[in-house]
This record gives sequence, structure tokens and C-alpha cells, in this order.
Amino acid sequence: MRKRTLALNIGMGILVSILAFVLIPAYSQEDIVTLEDDAFGDRQRPAAVFAHEEHNEKAEIEECNVCHHLYQHGEKVEDESSESMGCADCHNVKEGYPTMPLMKAYHDMCQGCHKEKGEGPITCGECHPRGEPVASHETAH
Amino acid sequence: MHGLYNFVRGPLAWVAFILFIGGSLYRLISMYKLARKKDVFVFEYTTLYFALRSILHWIIPFGNINSRNRPIFTIVTFAFHICLLAVPIFLLAHIILWDESFNINWWSLPDGVADIMALIVVAGCGYFLWRRLTQPEAKFVTSAGDYVILAIVAAPFITGFLAYHQWLGYKFWLILHILSGEIWLAAIPFTRLSHMLFFPLNRAYIGSEFGAVRHVRDY
Repeated sequence: MRKRTLALNIGMGILVSILAFVLIPAYSQEDIVTLEDDAFGDRQRPAAVFAHEEHNEKAEIEECNVCHHLYQHGEKVEDESSESMGCADCHNVKEGYPTMPLMKAYHDMCQGCHKEKGEGPITCGECHPRGEPVASHETAH
Repeated sequence: MHGLYNFVRGPLAWVAFILFIGGSLYRLISMYKLARKKDVFVFEYTTLYFALRSILHWIIPFGNINSRNRPIFTIVTFAFHICLLAVPIFLLAHIILWDESFNINWWSLPDGVADIMALIVVAGCGYFLWRRLTQPEAKFVTSAGDYVILAIVAAPFITGFLAYHQWLGYKFWLILHILSGEIWLAAIPFTRLSHMLFFPLNRAYIGSEFGAVRHVRDY
């Protein structure tokens, strides 16, 4: 009986480890290569290309809240960040009040910075390229 | 890297819109002044009823004898003009630019539908080209400038189609698309494309003369 329990425990342990290896990388930042937000229903364009780590290295972004901002009562909370939340938790796809609609929020976040820095893509097709679809697990949550 | 795109999207777009709106006002005001000077009776017999009757009969497909006699031309010209107006105004990518620049937005066409409509515009231009080259009634009144106008109209749709599909040289086609759209817009008041402004006035004029003076139909 004890042997069985031990075997079961080891078996469960292995299973959990395998699952962890399979699942955790799927949601780690390294693998984020597109911004495929599930909140959008029918897409008119392919999801925006965004290699999280590569981008931040190139753009020299160290703080999470440069992008993962948190607003309270219409004011940005400087020391807080929101990477544990999805963008769509605050930004609705349709209604724009009190926050920006989701698509506009994405466009504004990416393009706003690119325009300000004078670097990075600012036209439709540079972020939404047609071609090989990206595997579904390689997406942002 | 952003330079050329920003230039065509920013200052050149303003120039195009100012030329389009300013030029249109200029053309309409000059035409009004010319009519006051040369054909003052127009203002005597032009009535809203005959004006609207004529406009309606010519803006509805097969609403007049002329269009019933030429069914293919009628179908092509209506499909062409509907797509020509609807695609630029209701294209999602265009509305996103309006929203980003001026915080205004409205209903948009699905991209796939707009894609087909853009092809209808290009096909329409092809038909009008063929017509000008071969049909005596069109050939007779065609000059070199008419071919340039056809090219000006077709260009934004061809380049927009190519940029949308991103087959080759996306940014090149995109910049050319914006540029050709601006040339088109600016050309409207100063070329035969001004029929966009004068169509309702022409119909009001002819409709009223036929209706109120000759007591016949103009449709």
C-alpha cells in the first residue's frame, strides 16, 4: 500500500513536472512573439508582432510599468505596475469610457512610444504582417 | 525612417484636404457668380421640386431612359461610384487614422469586402478606359487629360490593394497609396472629377428647365 502511494506520488510528481515544463514556458515572457489578445473577437488583421524580450532589450526598457501601467482615478500610479493583469481587464473592446478602447490602447501604447522615439514601426503592415501564422501557444495572454 | 511616411501622412494630407475643400468652395462660388452674370434666369425657374425629381431619377439605377438603354454601362457606373465613395470612407484602416488623429470614428466595412470593392473600382476604370478608346460617343469627347484622370482615380485603389496584401515592398506601396490618394483628392475641384460637385447642380438646372419651362421630363 505504501509502495503504491509512493509510486503514485512519484508519478504525480513527474506528471506535474512535465506539465510545468510544457505550460510554464508557454506563458513565459520569452515566448511572447505576438499580441494576440483573446478579448478581440473577429480579427480583421493578423495579431501584432511583438517579441517581448527582444523588444525590451533593443528599446532598453527595464521597468515593467513603462508598458504595463496602472491608472487609478484617471491618474497613472507611478510605482505600480499591472503585468499580472490582461490589458482587456481595464480596456474594453467597444466602450471607451473611462479607459481607452482596447485596440486604441494597443495602438497608442506601441505607436505613441515609437513616434516619440522616432524608432520602431508606425504603419499598419509593419506590426500586422501577413504571412506565416504564429503558433497559438506563442502568444501573449 | 519615419520621415517620408510622416510627411505624406501629416503636412501633405493637410495640403490635399485644403486644396480639396478650398478648391471645391472656390469652384462652387465662381460657378454661382458666373451664373448670376450670364444666365440669371436660372435662378428664376429653378425649383426644389424639379431639382430633386431630376437628381433622384439620375441617382437611382435605371431611373431614367438613358440608363435603361445602356444597362451594362449603368451597372458598371453605379458599382464603380458606390465602391469609389464607400471604400475610402468606411475602410477600417482609414477610420483608425481618423480616430488616432481627431478622436472620431464610425462604422467600418469588413476588410475582405473592402478588398473586393477596391477591385471593382479598378475594373470600372478599366471599363471606362476601354469605352474611351473604342466607343465613338466617348472617343469623340476624349482628350489626353481624361486618361490621366482615369489613372489618378485608379492609382489609390491599386496601390492600396497592393499595400493591404503586402506582397512586395509594403512601405513603398503604402507611401505611394497615400500620395496618390492626396493627388486624387486635390484633383477633384480642378478637373472633370468636379462632376462630384456639379452633378446635383447640373441636374437641378436641367431638371428645372425641362420641368418648369418646357414642361417635359428630363429622365
